[in-house]
Amino acid sequence: MRNASDTATTSASGSPTVVRVIRGVQVLAVVAAAIGVLVFPQTGPGPFIMSVGVVILSYACMATGWNFVGGFTGYISLGHAAFTGLGGYLVGLLILRADVPSWIALVLAAVIVAVLSIPIGFASLRVRGASFVIMSLALVLIMLLIFQSWSDVTGGSNGLRVPRPFGPEVLRPEQHERFYYLHVLLLVIMLVAWWAIDRSRFGAGLKAIREDEDKAQSLGIPTFGYKLSVYVISAFFTALAGGLYALWFGFLDPIFQFSILTGSYMVLMSLLGGIRSLFGPALGAAIVGYAIEFFKAQYGDTQFHLVALGLLLGLVVLFMPEGILPSLGRLLDRLRPSATSIREESAEELANKRAVLVGDNGGAS
Amino acid sequence: MSTAPAHEIGLAVHGLSKSFGGVHAVVDASVDFHHGRINALIGPNGSGKTTFFNCVTGMIRADAGTVTYRGQDITGKAPHRVAHAGIGRSFQVCRIFPRMTVLDNVLAGVRPTGLATLLGSGRRRSDVERARALLARVGIDHLERAEAGDISYGQQKLLELAGVLMTDPETIMLDEPAGGVNPALIDRISTLIVELNAEGRTFIVVEHNMELVMRLSDHVIVFDRGAPIAAGPPSTVQKDPAVLEAYLGV
Ligand SMILES: Nc1ncnc2c1ncn2[C@@H]1O[C@H](COP(=O)(O)OP(=O)(O)OP(=O)(O)O)[C@@H](O)[C@H]1O
Ligand SMILES: [Mg+2]
Repeated sequence: MRNASDTATTSASGSPTVVRVIRGVQVLAVVAAAIGVLVFPQTGPGPFIMSVGVVILSYACMATGWNFVGGFTGYISLGHAAFTGLGGYLVGLLILRADVPSWIALVLAAVIVAVLSIPIGFASLRVRGASFVIMSLALVLIMLLIFQSWSDVTGGSNGLRVPRPFGPEVLRPEQHERFYYLHVLLLVIMLVAWWAIDRSRFGAGLKAIREDEDKAQSLGIPTFGYKLSVYVISAFFTALAGGLYALWFGFLDPIFQFSILTGSYMVLMSLLGGIRSLFGPALGAAIVGYAIEFFKAQYGDTQFHLVALGLLLGLVVLFMPEGILPSLGRLLDRLRPSATSIREESAEELANKRAVLVGDNGGAS
Repeated sequence: MSTAPAHEIGLAVHGLSKSFGGVHAVVDASVDFHHGRINALIGPNGSGKTTFFNCVTGMIRADAGTVTYRGQDITGKAPHRVAHAGIGRSFQVCRIFPRMTVLDNVLAGVRPTGLATLLGSGRRRSDVERARALLARVGIDHLERAEAGDISYGQQKLLELAGVLMTDPETIMLDEPAGGVNPALIDRISTLIVELNAEGRTFIVVEHNMELVMRLSDHVIVFDRGAPIAAGPPSTVQKDPAVLEAYLGV
């Protein structure tokens, strides 16, 4: 245990130019990635590569949707495929059975999933840790059973064909391109929402829950209401991702829609990229999504890629428990001259420091 | 903080009991705490002081008994409701948010007043200023940007106190504020308690440091085997034979 001596931290501001350079590099990286994503379809990648792009973006949307609950509260749900699956099926069923126009069906389906997630969250957010994970797994399995056996409505194991939103005059490559940009749009909306929560008082409360839920509650934070709210938001966005994918892919099979594997992908992608960072899940989705598609293309539909992904997850947990982006951030921090190093300081030094800091109104880092 | 008239009963606990399996941690405990006082709760290890705290603040559900605060029944209320009622607390093994900065730790105690503040910035200027003032008050304002897990244990204790103060509690329950900290810091903490008490805040302090208890408190409640066995001003409690027996086994 640490002793109680009066240690002190040197100001974390470091040299302003180094900080500005690091900020600049970060902004440049984001801008470059954004341009790359937007320009990619114009480079003539061909329909197959284009479809891989859509798949990866869809993963990025799912993982970012998952990260509303996983990242802010630290509750690891392995069962978010329940929401993508439900979103997809509801879109299909609304179009087929109720003649709802595709895009309205997409939003309506996500709203219905959000409403359904209230009782689900109410039941499962009462428990923490492993119990919550198991509850989330049970949810997908229940959904799988329902959608397989209720075949009159869902088509059961024969699957469900979802009508395409664009007319027959829109050819396949054009379809891919449109869905590519639709996924980009959805991803941007999610990122803006995540960012807005991250900087809000609501987000601060959620992050307190992630660190110490009982302590947060003792400070007056209504933890259950916070968790449930963000769970519903997460379900809504994840369902939108599932619905958009269904509109693109055009065919749903319960085995794939309600697969524990899909939920695990969302977790792996987010952990890999970093659940505390805005772009972490999307970055993780790009890496893992690419790897999955690569293995499938190289070795066909074997279980080989699962082994590889398992190994990858093991490596991440061992060497980068916080994910790629936070680890990079820490590395950059070390470049700062007087980064937060703790050392013993004499009373005199402390007094000097305080005198300097009185005049320093710089915002929190 | 809205202050109640001094010496009225604020927190009133009646017939509180809590068992863990076969362990009777708190047994039919009844205690009234007066407003404006520094109350000390003392007793041997395992006499149920922390469990008493946990039951009062809603961290664990009591098997029996009632808790009222300023006439309001708060029995079995969730911890955040107890906090909203005006009771703040610290923990025996101090609890802070280790991965947040010191400043954000204090800001966690801000209570949003509506949807607009809930969705508004987590670092509202007025809140940040108040948090900084509290950090300055406990003497760790120079650490505001450090990650809370990196500062010393004594500093974490001060930080925890600043976080509790951010919720502006009228009654503050401290579980061993001097536990594990050096003598200089004990002085700082006790001075703070006296000052905050002078501003009208009631204290209920669990403490093993007898010198501190005798110096600080207006009223001492002695726990033994889950229930109070004596209560009164420090000087009389000190000489109570039942207390001596519980402590020294004579
Ligand atoms: N969560 C728990 N599960 C089981 N037993 C518990 C639990 N919490 C407390 N106890 C038991 O209840 C009794 C009272 O413990 P408590 O922590 O309330 O004592 P205390 O007076 O705070 O002691 P100390 O001065 O050592 O902090 C002890 O016998 C303890 O072992
Ligand atoms: Mg205790």
